Amino acid sequence: MEAPPCSQVEELQQEQEHGSSLVVGLSLCDSAPLLWRFQDLKTVRSNSLVGALLGSLPRTPRQNIRLGRPLLLMPEEERVLREHHGAAALSAWNQDAAGAAELRQRYEEEQQRSLEEQSILALEDRKLALLRAMTSSSGSESGAGSDEALQCRLLALEQNFSFPRSALAVQLSTARAGLSHCQEACAFLEADRPIREQDSPRRDARYQVFRDLWGRGFFLTSAGKFGGDFLVYPGDPLRFHAHFIAVCLTLDESICMLDVLSVARLGSNVKKTVLLCSPAPDGSVHYTSLQWSGMM
Amino acid sequence: MSGAKASEKAPSTNWILQHPTYQQMKELNVGESEQIHAAFLVYMDLTEVRRWKEVSCVKSLDLQVVLLEAREKDGSPVHTVLPLPVHQSLCHQSIRQVLDRGFPMLLCAVASDSTLVYQRMTDGLVTPDPPVGPFEDAGRRQHRKRRHHR
Repeated sequence: MEAPPCSQVEELQQEQEHGSSLVVGLSLCDSAPLLWRFQDLKTVRSNSLVGALLGSLPRTPRQNIRLGRPLLLMPEEERVLREHHGAAALSAWNQDAAGAAELRQRYEEEQQRSLEEQSILALEDRKLALLRAMTSSSGSESGAGSDEALQCRLLALEQNFSFPRSALAVQLSTARAGLSHCQEACAFLEADRPIREQDSPRRDARYQVFRDLWGRGFFLTSAGKFGGDFLVYPGDPLRFHAHFIAVCLTLDESICMLDVLSVARLGSNVKKTVLLCSPAPDGSVHYTSLQWSGMM
Repeated sequence: MSGAKASEKAPSTNWILQHPTYQQMKELNVGESEQIHAAFLVYMDLTEVRRWKEVSCVKSLDLQVVLLEAREKDGSPVHTVLPLPVHQSLCHQSIRQVLDRGFPMLLCAVASDSTLVYQRMTDGLVTPDPPVGPFEDAGRRQHRKRRHHR
């Protein structure tokens, strides 16, 4: 069996600006950086990195409002994590055939145990139901005769009772992290070419802007819905509306006036300021706020 | 018919080209006549329509364009206005150069039908105005609406 393309990379984080020392375990699925562990999600969130949840929730799969793990990090978020204090890569965790077989065996054993437990409980339930039915139907009668008949019926029930496997209630384990046991799912996620865009001045500009704004304490998410690069929140996105739509470009990049107008108009419609952001040669970032003038 | 022919006038000269301010702008020698035309339209809008004060035109050496300076009212701060035809492109650097003049800046896009659109540009992060109250908790009303539509 081939090893899955996912690998575990442990990163040591010492966020001086954010004051906590932490370790985040990054799972690379091809080139997409994913976080699976609940603790890791809490950690990055407390350091004002938001990411995007991708998974469906086992109890409410057919909706898109509330998603579950894994958390996909933006390229800028991953880079900030890596640069913020050295990534120590552990050797790739190869899952061999023996490991998979062991997991499977354990699963089967658990299922069997659960089946036995449930069949005992089901039998108890049936007996109680029978008891209730018999004592209620023959309410006024009492005596050895009805008792004996009851015992006979209970015995017959026990001998003939069988708990079908189709009636087994299965518990979905939501604590398990990663796709280690789903070879087919891993293969499906493997892309033919890298998911991320290639190196370009625009990509570097995006990263410089991200790092600057993040360093100032803002929370940033991707702004695809608004035609920009980032949405900038003054605090946790669950508590605030975004204040800015950040559009990242280099200082000498040419932009069409129509594009400036359309993004500014959109910004005013959704009550956000459009920010034109460009990294300067001296390492700082220039911000220009674009606002609808309101001059009719 | 001779009467109709007689009433045909010679085509009148373009009044814009003869306007003293337009000629003033031309003398600034920035090169592109389209931008000068756009600048002139913004000039007319500011002076005649919006009645702004002390409207004057300046040459920007960095950008090779005509800029306008004007006050909204007597005593209000001087604004720099950058008029540009809408199909032209610009870069963030040019915007920074105009902002470096130190005055509040307005970018004005001029469309081919002479429609004017003004954008305010400011250095730094300007927090947007918060949404206006009073705020109602949508809650149950939304739920009721949905059920009604079913």
